[in-house]
Amino acid sequence: MAAQGTLNQQEIFNRRLPIVVVLMIVASGLLLLRLISFQQLAPEVLTELSTDYNRTVRLAAARGIIYDRRGQRLAVNTLEYRIGVSPNLVANAQRTATQLASILNMDELRAYEAVTSDEPWVLLAPRVKAEVGQQIEQMKLDLQLPSVTIEKIPLRSYPQGTLAAHILGYVSGDLQGYYGVEGYYQEQLAGRAVNSVVSSIPFDQTDTQEPGRGSDIYLTIDRDLQYVVESELQLAVNETSATGGTIIVMNPRTGDILAMANYPSFDPNAYSNVTDQRAWNNPAISGQYEPGSVFKVLTVAAALDKGVITPQWTYNDQGQLNVGGVTIQNWDRGAHGAVDVTGVLVQSLNVGAATISTALGPTNFYSELAQFGMGRLTGVNLEGEAAGTMHVPGDTDWSESNLGTNSFGQGLAVTPLQMITAISAIANDGLMMQPNIVQKIVTNGQEVLSQRVPLGRPISAEVAHQVRDMMVAVVRDGLDDKALLPGYTLAGKTGTAEIPTPVGYRDDAWIMSFIGFLPADEPQVIILYKLDEPNGRWASEVVAPLFRRLAERLVILLEIPPDDVRQALKAQGGIVSGQ
Amino acid sequence: MSQRWLQHALRGTTWRMQRQAVALAGLGIFIAIIIGALYLAQSASVASLGRQLEGMIARRNQLEQTNEQLRSEIAQLRSVPRLLARAQEMGFVPAGRENIEYLVVDGYNPNRKPVAVVTEEPPEALPDYEESFTGWLQQQWDSFVRQFRSFTTGE
Repeated sequence: MAAQGTLNQQEIFNRRLPIVVVLMIVASGLLLLRLISFQQLAPEVLTELSTDYNRTVRLAAARGIIYDRRGQRLAVNTLEYRIGVSPNLVANAQRTATQLASILNMDELRAYEAVTSDEPWVLLAPRVKAEVGQQIEQMKLDLQLPSVTIEKIPLRSYPQGTLAAHILGYVSGDLQGYYGVEGYYQEQLAGRAVNSVVSSIPFDQTDTQEPGRGSDIYLTIDRDLQYVVESELQLAVNETSATGGTIIVMNPRTGDILAMANYPSFDPNAYSNVTDQRAWNNPAISGQYEPGSVFKVLTVAAALDKGVITPQWTYNDQGQLNVGGVTIQNWDRGAHGAVDVTGVLVQSLNVGAATISTALGPTNFYSELAQFGMGRLTGVNLEGEAAGTMHVPGDTDWSESNLGTNSFGQGLAVTPLQMITAISAIANDGLMMQPNIVQKIVTNGQEVLSQRVPLGRPISAEVAHQVRDMMVAVVRDGLDDKALLPGYTLAGKTGTAEIPTPVGYRDDAWIMSFIGFLPADEPQVIILYKLDEPNGRWASEVVAPLFRRLAERLVILLEIPPDDVRQALKAQGGIVSGQ
Repeated sequence: MSQRWLQHALRGTTWRMQRQAVALAGLGIFIAIIIGALYLAQSASVASLGRQLEGMIARRNQLEQTNEQLRSEIAQLRSVPRLLARAQEMGFVPAGRENIEYLVVDGYNPNRKPVAVVTEEPPEALPDYEESFTGWLQQQWDSFVRQFRSFTTGE
């Protein structure tokens, strides 16, 4: 009976086994099919899932670095960190508070209150230095502290401090550049930020695009020269109690700006601390002023170029001249008798300049000045340049008397950069180069060199040499040796300009300037030195000696040898140039 | 009705045939499992490499930031006022014109043309690294062939 039962069970087992096997095979097959189907999801399902598992993040590009002409860093990128804590995620409040307080140098009780707060998130430190942030990051990693949040804040930093602030400009918190090179080259420096899709599925490796790093910019500025120029300007302002000043150092052959300093200036690392936002403007390119007697150089050059006068031309100076109803007088109110063209510049005679401009006539005079770039932008690659003001016949503001007053730099306004650019034509054989602040732009290792652009040839080379010789005579004979630099031949001209007000000119303050270049026969550098409202009455007494002091330092830095050495070097095939 | 038909059908099969069917099905499942396992291993490898890559990218970014930070600090330390102060501490004084002597060397032309330097050819670029199943198989095969050759040639 028992054997019969066992047989029946065996039969049942034998009958059911294949069914179970078949069912298992079918189930396994279905499972396999389902697994395979997961690998080939329909596009609409993928799209739906991707919103859950993918997120788009904006990857900011690193801003390009700004270097000087020798590769010294003037503007770099740094990081600061914002540190916070999510109290809900804190496992060990005491330990977390102690660690955070120690690194952040904060009160431990305050840190403990923060980590035990009821708030979902508490800010511990709004801005901490990179090294502190990295310590916190390391601590978070070592101690497994998901509650601590670290947010990186990209910053623009200027390691040289206030040096070349007006040239560089600044970058705001949203990484937008303003003023100077930062503003002018914002697009190139900023690079290309990208949107990247980040998946939380480990298998899903999306093609992450790297953000395009911004281009690096090498300036024509020489950092050491810039420092010397800025310190000289600072010293000059202190010595003369001037309200401000500007110095520009340029290579007249190329238009490269080697240094550009203004006083007062600002710190681009703390740009928001300025009380007056006008401090961000670069007076060297945007500050308009009446140039005064420096302008006589252009008047003489224009007349020589038009053939109205020759270097031998003379006139009888009677001490005053009426032009368009306005009586023009010399600076000393005196009459100088028979004076030649060189004498007009050496003695800086207003009557002589006005005599020349009236002989030239308004059409010739203003067309020549326009060729020197008066009343229009130089096109320098810096943000915020002004065009100056020059009224011409036909303008409602122009009168015949302007022909007389404009000849010695009154009744019109220029920027310091416009003025030095115009005079640089005399230093460069009549060819006027566009001022340039960028040496090269480097993008992904590809260098693009700046093009030297001639702005025109306002005067012939012959006239340029004639005027140059007159400017040499000014330094040699007209300034009581105050601008003479032993061993070097300098060419230059002073300007003491009155400051206009709505009711006339001030009689208690002047803008004093000097523009000169050296070596006169082979100019390597041209310098504009301008002081606003310094103590003293004449630029020849105040600015000329300061110019000489600066020139003395520049010839050392730029390795410009004295004339005799230079001539000897030239005789054997070349000259030394520090640029 | 269907149950009777199934019982009838099953009774009609021999155990030998059942074993064959089971073996075939088992083999199929085994092959599927092997393929699945290989696929999973490959996927896991990709995921692992992906994570490693992410980690390396993060590390690279951090190193770049650190480098940039260090360069910034170097630039600050090399700023002119600092260098000037340090030089003065060390006893240096600014050179004046009277301290500088220019020497004219006979026959020396500072503006002479530069001498061209012939550089060596750059080394051949390394082949791209390929991490995929086929790439792995190729590597194994290449390795096998190399071993076989070295075995046969005795090198």
